[in-house]
Amino acid sequence: MWRRLREAARRAKRNPLTVVGLLMVALVIVLAIFAPWIAPHPRDIQVVHPNDLFRPPSLEHLFGTDEMGRDILSRVIFGTRISLRIGTLVVVLALAIGLPLGIIAGTFGGLLDEILMRVTDIFLSFPPLLLAMAISAALGPRLENAMIAIAIAWWPWYARLIRSEAVSIRERAYVEAARAVGTSWPRILLRHVLPNCLAPVIVQASMDFGSVILTSASLSFLGLGAQPPTPEWGLMITVGRTFFLTHWWIVTFPGLAILLAVLAFNLTGDGLREILDPKAKRW
Amino acid sequence: MISYVTRRLALSLLSLLGVSIIAFTLTRVIPSDPADMWMGPHATVEQIERARIELGLDKPIPVQYGLYVAGFLRGDWGTSIVTKQPVLRDLGTYLPASIELILVGMIIAFAVGIPLGILSAAKCGTSIDHASRLLSITGVALPSFWLAMLLQLVLGKMLGLFPLSGRLDFTMEILHAPHRLTGSYLVDAVFTANWPVLRDALWHIALPAVTLAMYPLGLSTRLIRTTLLEVLGEDYIRTARASGMRESKVLAVYALRNAVGPVLTVGALTFGYSLVSTFLIESLFAWPGLGRYAAKAIVSVDYPAIMGVTLLVAATYVILNLVVDLVQAFMDPRIRLS
Amino acid sequence: MTLYLRAFRTAAAALAVLLAALGLSLPLAGADLQIAVHVQAAEVVPVWDPSDGASGEIALMNNVYEALLRYNAVENTFEPILATSYEKSADLKTWTFKLRQGVKFHTGNVMDAAAVKFCVDRTIARGRGSAYIWGPVDSVEVVDPYTVRFHLNMPAPLDLIAAAGYSAYIFDPAYSDSDWFNAGHDSGTGPYTIDTVEGREKVIVKKFADYWRGWEGKHFDRIVFLTLGEASTSRLMVETGKADFVESLPATDIEALRNNSAVRVEVNPSLQNLMVLYNTQREPLDNPLVRRVLSYLIPYEDTVKVALGGYGQVARGVIPHGLWGHSDRVETFTYSPTVAKALLAQAGYPNGGLKLFTTYPAGYDDIRKTVELWKAACAELNIELDARAMPTAERNAIARSPDPTKRQDIYLLYWWPDYANPDSFLSGMFYSQEKPAYNLCYYKNPTFDALIDYAITLPAGTPGAIDMMVELQNMLQREAPGIAVWDMQYLRVTASSLKGYVDNSAYPNVVFWYNCYRE
Repeated sequence: MWRRLREAARRAKRNPLTVVGLLMVALVIVLAIFAPWIAPHPRDIQVVHPNDLFRPPSLEHLFGTDEMGRDILSRVIFGTRISLRIGTLVVVLALAIGLPLGIIAGTFGGLLDEILMRVTDIFLSFPPLLLAMAISAALGPRLENAMIAIAIAWWPWYARLIRSEAVSIRERAYVEAARAVGTSWPRILLRHVLPNCLAPVIVQASMDFGSVILTSASLSFLGLGAQPPTPEWGLMITVGRTFFLTHWWIVTFPGLAILLAVLAFNLTGDGLREILDPKAKRW
Repeated sequence: MISYVTRRLALSLLSLLGVSIIAFTLTRVIPSDPADMWMGPHATVEQIERARIELGLDKPIPVQYGLYVAGFLRGDWGTSIVTKQPVLRDLGTYLPASIELILVGMIIAFAVGIPLGILSAAKCGTSIDHASRLLSITGVALPSFWLAMLLQLVLGKMLGLFPLSGRLDFTMEILHAPHRLTGSYLVDAVFTANWPVLRDALWHIALPAVTLAMYPLGLSTRLIRTTLLEVLGEDYIRTARASGMRESKVLAVYALRNAVGPVLTVGALTFGYSLVSTFLIESLFAWPGLGRYAAKAIVSVDYPAIMGVTLLVAATYVILNLVVDLVQAFMDPRIRLS
Repeated sequence: MTLYLRAFRTAAAALAVLLAALGLSLPLAGADLQIAVHVQAAEVVPVWDPSDGASGEIALMNNVYEALLRYNAVENTFEPILATSYEKSADLKTWTFKLRQGVKFHTGNVMDAAAVKFCVDRTIARGRGSAYIWGPVDSVEVVDPYTVRFHLNMPAPLDLIAAAGYSAYIFDPAYSDSDWFNAGHDSGTGPYTIDTVEGREKVIVKKFADYWRGWEGKHFDRIVFLTLGEASTSRLMVETGKADFVESLPATDIEALRNNSAVRVEVNPSLQNLMVLYNTQREPLDNPLVRRVLSYLIPYEDTVKVALGGYGQVARGVIPHGLWGHSDRVETFTYSPTVAKALLAQAGYPNGGLKLFTTYPAGYDDIRKTVELWKAACAELNIELDARAMPTAERNAIARSPDPTKRQDIYLLYWWPDYANPDSFLSGMFYSQEKPAYNLCYYKNPTFDALIDYAITLPAGTPGAIDMMVELQNMLQREAPGIAVWDMQYLRVTASSLKGYVDNSAYPNVVFWYNCYRE
């Protein structure tokens, strides 16, 4: 019985879903890079067509046209660029703050650690969406500002995650040994602590890619993110919600795009976790 | 134990103080001229000046913060610029609807998520497991406002099975006026034996609750699966199995006990967040809840309302976390409180 | 999921049957109540205090409170409400109103001259909302219990003011505490009184039994005022017969609704237009040529077609169609990229390269679409409209910033007069203001100011006054500190079964529900 379970667990690692996730991520990246060549109506990012409003899906416009006569398929394809940009920028920015702080706190401990943990406590008890909303409202409605806002709400999670990894690494024998032979701290951080933190960070970051895209869509819904006519998926849904009961295609396709993109990153992250970090069960 | 709780409470208070300072600073940094909201559209030059003075915006920010905290401790959370009501009263108006929605959503989530997680762990590696994993990851990946629209479109408009928005039908509300005890129509209807209202309220809450349930559903399925897989590998389970206990009984006895931890965690986590993040669902379903109030407060830079919501949600979150930790420790002696 | 909920419902129903058998179920009291549902676009009651209003509460308040008179904008007549008759002096500075006797407030007290004086004095003293419409009033005199006299410091159409849709309500002085109002109470004389309040999103009013007109004939017993926030769900409500009146649905929905026999669509004139204000104090829009370039780049016809779905008119001058002072003699811009291009070169920007920070109110589809069309047209000449949809408070903080470098280049807004008064469009946005309130083009022109000062002394609607309005608008046209893009039409969607509803542009979005019934 026990063997069967273990066998099953091993098979789960070679999960077909991970492959699907990776393929979908690859597709998103390809679409983003080659958007101007793939999109059937690349000019519809800027141009409006007063005579083609609300066309239902057809061969000419596979996803139909929106309330300004623009081809929705083309806009969804260009939207991949924006979503990738949002995901990358936010995760990188949040890591840039959270990684050094987490490593330093976890490695050195003491008062520094205490202070840092209290600060992350504050941020963690702040509802993240509310924080992001307030910050992007403070910075003014622009996509860039929304990204900064999300990153500010996000870094404490990384700081926490990395700190706990660093703490456990600090105790390990080889770090103790390195210290005993007088290796300098920066060297220890760089050679021993940092590489060992990376696995959980990569997993977390790829999962967060999806959540960031969702959060940014929520901010757009409030008018705090991208500005029209940017083909950001969340914004397209926001604008289309006035018509969704009569013109279903305007919100359906951008929403599907969000779902698939987020799904892709989550599946990938999930798979990566099982490969890189099989112990972790935190989501 | 006591000292642990005291320490946690003290730290929580510290966090809340930090939250209040950050929130206060943020709201004052947002460029805002509330004159038109306070005085009415087309405000005149004199009205703009007067609004600033009446709202205390002419004072230095630290003084404003001091006044706010002093008032807060006295139970005066300020007056909303938008609604012109005391913030505390507003929170009392909007909170019950939110709590009702979130609780029903979580009941749905757990009613589906727990069995699914157990099933998934029991049939680990099979196609059932894959399907449930896909479902749980999809649940987390679904943009809630998009799902809300699809449900409204298909189940509401096309099939006509559910109402599109609101908490109660108007005729129902007028003919069977629900008696307000808790502010939750479901609870009040049960207590006052108002069955038509109960039925109608359930019917109205269905779509928003299902939408809201997707995220905790995915999360709980997932957590229960991983927890169980871990537990099922432990020695005492092997012993139990070896001593001839049937697999279904193993699951029933140990699975259920071990499901408590993840369920509590997901519950606490989602509850705290949902108070605000449901604003998308609440706006689409015209659900008069706290999320909608918070969103409105932020986009209209309603300082006192933003502060009130932030502190309320942060406090809820901090307290729930503490409670969950204590309950878990109480139930599982292996967890040490430190 | 459906199955699940079915189970729930069945269980609940079974429980209900069981308890009914035990005699616990509620009696179906008042099942024949006539209930009307009025769906609004925004919050039902932004303001509770009858002195302070100036926005969306107008629809509810006009059914709960009453003013001395009611103005019929189409026929230019006054209907006596709380006043039965009135006289004005030849110089228009003394107005005497005879009050209706036997009118009761919802509180049970009797309405009299002292109450009228109290309300007007209170509204002026509070100075909120549209209170400034009473600006010309020097003092209010109680002549006898049912006669009240207004002494003005300048000639003014006090009948129009006393009939205003905002800040002109009469309420019980004994119940006039602002906090009491804010808690959802009223002390008006209208046919309905507030019954249930659910936040600011839903208010139910009920018949006031002692209403002075009585309740003979067919009337509604309850009116539900609510906002759904979403146009799509509002539309479905009226289509499925769940709502009797829906204000301002998006024009895109209207064509489809016209084919539905359960629904009646009315297109009514409005006094509301879309204004564009250019920052005349800052480069590059301090140059009138550049302002003209931008004005030539608005695809006016397309904006009416796309943004308003054809339900509106291209503006001609800042005074909208249907208000006196609007005239074909006012010159206007047309969409002309070639003219714009030539002017742009003349202004010193042959290759464009301008970036203009533009703010517009968030949440209005017609404005957003107009901006998108304009933005696309500007992009052709390499002018970037950096347009951002913002909430009013934030936008106005930028627009009114003490630091002129922080202000926007272009500000878009709806404008409507507080009473049928063309001067509102001219002095509100273009009269010099040291600290700007709504002169957000920061326009300063002493000649223009002087002409306005003169124009408002002329009797309303007379040929001389109209000539002045034309002259002033042409002056704005030449200098282009700001222009109007389109004049709106209000689209009212009602259930076909609703009878007795008449649109009155002096009270936008108001249904006088006492006059309505269902057939």
